[in-house]
Amino acid sequence: MAIPAAAAAAYRAAAQMATPATSAAITPANIPGGNFSDFLSGAIKDSISTIRQGETAATQQVQGKANLVDVVQSVNAAEITLDTVVAVRDKVVAAYQSIMNMPI
Amino acid sequence: MDFNKSMAVAASGMRAQTERMKIIAENIANANSTSPTKGGDPYRRKIATLAPSFDRELDATLVNSGKAIPDKSEFKSQYDPGNPNADKQGYVKLPNVDSLVEIMDMREAQRSYEADLSVMDSTKQMLAKTVDLLNK
Repeated sequence: MAIPAAAAAAYRAAAQMATPATSAAITPANIPGGNFSDFLSGAIKDSISTIRQGETAATQQVQGKANLVDVVQSVNAAEITLDTVVAVRDKVVAAYQSIMNMPI
Repeated sequence: MDFNKSMAVAASGMRAQTERMKIIAENIANANSTSPTKGGDPYRRKIATLAPSFDRELDATLVNSGKAIPDKSEFKSQYDPGNPNADKQGYVKLPNVDSLVEIMDMREAQRSYEADLSVMDSTKQMLAKTVDLLNK
């Protein structure tokens, strides 16, 4: 019968999921998808370059060199990026404080 | 980020409409321009063209303003024997610009520009609301 076979396969898959074959300890170096500080520094570098682009566009507009549409686009992108960075920073600081406030 | 891409696409639309507006302005401004030389052709109406262009870096299809095409239709001619540009029969060639057509074109460019602006505005709102989730 096809259905019991499929069910058995599903149970086997679930069992394998519950007991990982690799028992290597999870360290910051081998977390799949890279570690958090790398991710954070990458994101911040991206943000800094976006914000710089916004500033450059604004300066060029003042000098009469840039198209207004490009300036609006760059400044918008910079604004949203700054908002995101601030929101993430607030979250990180809040997490840090809640750890510091733990009664030991 | 995809939101930045949609912003860039909307911005390209706005740039293209700006270029189109420039051509419409030229047509309207020159609606009565006769030939600078005797016996020559007056101002010939230009038609703005828009063309899609795929941007590899953005992975999105932008819009670019293409080359303005000259309108091949007949010039208008007006009886004005006193005009220095008049031919032997006393007719002066006038540009093939129809202000009504230009004004309709202008409205269309304006509406397209506004549509692109709303795309930008909505995109920004979507992004801002998503970022707001982090603040809660």
